[in-house]
Amino acid sequence: MSLLQEEREIILGNEFVDSFDFAEVEDFVKNASKELFISHHFKNRKKMLVQPRGGFPTYKKQYSLYEFFVEANVDVLPLTIDSNTRLNDYGTAKKMLRLSEENDIDMLNGYPLVNHGYRTTRKMMTHFNKPVSLRHGTPDARLLIETAIASGIFEIEGGPITYLLPYSKNFPLDKAFLYWKYVERVCANYSKLNEPINRESFGPLTATLVPPSITIVIQLLEMLLSLEEGVKSFSVSFAQNGSMTQDIVTGEVLKKLAKHYAEEIDCGDAIINLVYHQWMGAFPMNKDFAEQLINMSTVIASMVGADKIITKTREEASGIPTKEANAKTVANTQYTLRILNGLPKVVDEEEEEILTLEVMAIMEAVFNDPADTLWRKVFNSIKNGIIDVPFSPHIINHNEMITIRDANKNIRIINRGNVPIPDRCFEYERAQCDLSKDTTSIVNDIIHDIGIMQ
Amino acid sequence: MKVITGVVGNDIHVVANRLMELSLNARGYEVFNLGVNTYLEEFFDAAVETGATILLISSLNGEAEGWSREIKPLKQKYKQLDDLVMMIGGNLVVGSGNAKDIVPRYKNYGFDLVCHQVDLNTGLDSLEAFLETRNQS
Repeated sequence: MSLLQEEREIILGNEFVDSFDFAEVEDFVKNASKELFISHHFKNRKKMLVQPRGGFPTYKKQYSLYEFFVEANVDVLPLTIDSNTRLNDYGTAKKMLRLSEENDIDMLNGYPLVNHGYRTTRKMMTHFNKPVSLRHGTPDARLLIETAIASGIFEIEGGPITYLLPYSKNFPLDKAFLYWKYVERVCANYSKLNEPINRESFGPLTATLVPPSITIVIQLLEMLLSLEEGVKSFSVSFAQNGSMTQDIVTGEVLKKLAKHYAEEIDCGDAIINLVYHQWMGAFPMNKDFAEQLINMSTVIASMVGADKIITKTREEASGIPTKEANAKTVANTQYTLRILNGLPKVVDEEEEEILTLEVMAIMEAVFNDPADTLWRKVFNSIKNGIIDVPFSPHIINHNEMITIRDANKNIRIINRGNVPIPDRCFEYERAQCDLSKDTTSIVNDIIHDIGIMQ
Repeated sequence: MKVITGVVGNDIHVVANRLMELSLNARGYEVFNLGVNTYLEEFFDAAVETGATILLISSLNGEAEGWSREIKPLKQKYKQLDDLVMMIGGNLVVGSGNAKDIVPRYKNYGFDLVCHQVDLNTGLDSLEAFLETRNQS
């Protein structure tokens, strides 16, 4: 028996799993309907796929959320997981699920997939026969993704960096890399049986003044970590950042460099998709304004040429959205996409060149780390501050990089910390900003820049 | 002057915490930032370890009140901290509340300065004014 299979048997021998039948699950994936695979839809797509967010604790509520989504002409269904499951606390999730079922109040902020189990969940997934995307935020997602794939969920979001640096203060990063290696291998193995399982990275990170160079570097590294384990379908992603030009440039450079680096490791046969998140920062309280913002995000996603868009709702500022609001956003986004025709092609060669140079310089510094494997190189680079994510709560993050918005609302790096931004690019970034101000007014500007959409 | 700062409890809201560090540094303080998800013991231990004169706790998710009730009994165990200036700021209640009711409650928990939904630099100005008055007396 392989080491991986031994590890799988330990993971699936968890007391909260009701006897995992490896052979039956393999058989299910092999014969599963192509419709369940988002990779199949990406291959045959004629339009940008629309995917909302959403997860409720009980089977019944999740089912009725999906009914609303299907009614609104959804392309990809989400399954958002509750926070206890994300922290591997299945005992608390079980208790809260029971309370939610008995009292008709939601005691969890998502669907506790491990507790529901794959036999139950698969009934829902095969009934709707749509691709489902697993949204979580789990550093150790080994049991969760086994359960997801066995349920017919063939897109797995996340990664060791993007699910850790924005969400955790002190979960060990090296462990996260090893746990995600397991995820990649399991996805790669299942991908041989039918259409490939799609892996997606979480580009928004902290959604707070993250400069495009950092976003792209992390997208590329998680892509490489996934492809080197044998994953054949991968989505890189990023979120609306506040400037249309910068989004278009980010999309171009990300697409170009994803292809470049995939080919460098002889994985040019993998399909790489681009996913765009509608604004992930602080939303306006005014729900009509929120709808305008969402609509504008859809327009920018089209300009960027995204393969999939992930939506927000008009209730974003006020809490977990209702299924009605969630479905409405899907219908609205589909409508906007349908009427958006004849888009111009916008190219900013100078910005593209600067961004490409920045990303390639950081990537080179990561590859030059003396460690023997890619994940260790990346780990060391984060530890050394070669990769620095603004506003990450994690203790390993350097927090030396400072970014502000220029007059056109582009995010610019005014302090690079240890990140090897080439001098020429750094001078260009700083030249776009008013640096004559004192720190107190810069802090006030940063506060304003974070709340730009409010 | 040395300042300990951080976000109390199981609160991961990091943005203001980073901005506070920037602002405090700009005002000439030596900052020891414990970051998010920090327990009271960690704050007091850090104050002893660094010899800081100011403890500046922040909170956004509203759970600070539960933690603040523990301050007096806990602080008694630390004999060296009698002169520590205690300040708290952010969003100090779950749901909505009135600063007029909230401020005296927190002063009673042992804080010298309480800023409920006060702008960052206004809050830090009030800290400076407080230190000045204290040095004069």
